[in-house]
Amino acid sequence: MTPEERELAIEQVVSAHRERSGRGEVRAAPAWHDLDAEGRRDAFDAAIVARQLEAAADPDSLSATARAVLARIGRSP
Amino acid sequence: MIDLDVHLPGIARGDAQAFAAWLAGAELPVRRSLRSFAAVVDTEAVLQEALLRIWQVASKVRADGRPNALLRFALRVARNAAIDEVRRARLVPSEAEALERAVAEASDDAEPALPDPLLRRAIERCRERLAGPPKAAFEARLGGGGQPDAALAEGVQMRLNTFLKNVGRARALLLECLQRAGVAVEVG
Repeated sequence: MTPEERELAIEQVVSAHRERSGRGEVRAAPAWHDLDAEGRRDAFDAAIVARQLEAAADPDSLSATARAVLARIGRSP
Repeated sequence: MIDLDVHLPGIARGDAQAFAAWLAGAELPVRRSLRSFAAVVDTEAVLQEALLRIWQVASKVRADGRPNALLRFALRVARNAAIDEVRRARLVPSEAEALERAVAEASDDAEPALPDPLLRRAIERCRERLAGPPKAAFEARLGGGGQPDAALAEGVQMRLNTFLKNVGRARALLLECLQRAGVAVEVG
């Protein structure tokens, strides 16, 4: 994996978008499987930062993860 | 300390606004609690699955005289969801056992974490300074509510890879701006 591919994979993992399985379970991001352990930890750290920035910029203090979960239950403020 | 259990009766009644208010303070500590799993499971997927379970079973959770009963319950649900994923991933036994020991030793206590008012004001100013493609990408992710990046990229007329690079650039620029303003963001 080149540094550019790694950077792109990390950004995909940082996204709050996740597909669901046929049984309704939240699936891992395909790009997460492409990363090694260090890349996965870097993605975790980047997500911690991204969610704080999103929540701080949101009028209801909700991150993209919170918005995604609320969308899943069919209701959003 | 903030007690997010003020939202518990509303959540138990199925009030999504109450759940949203609880999520605003609970997400970060629950996410942090999954750090030891970051290399072996997709913690974003585990976290979302756990938060959906909380919504489904919150009516059965009772306040226990200590603050943040639902948050403490959420920490356990998230860790158990992560352990289930570890087992499904069929790690070598020594790795799985090491993780389970780490979980068994983990505390169920965590403080809610709402965005700091200083951070909110600073990020508003820093967002105004973002420009061009990084700004477009950041705002698309912010308003996207977990939509696929391909759709968000199309919405701002970028190729997917360009969009992803600009999301990363925007985050780095915002962090630099916040640092210059003397506002700390927990990094990792």
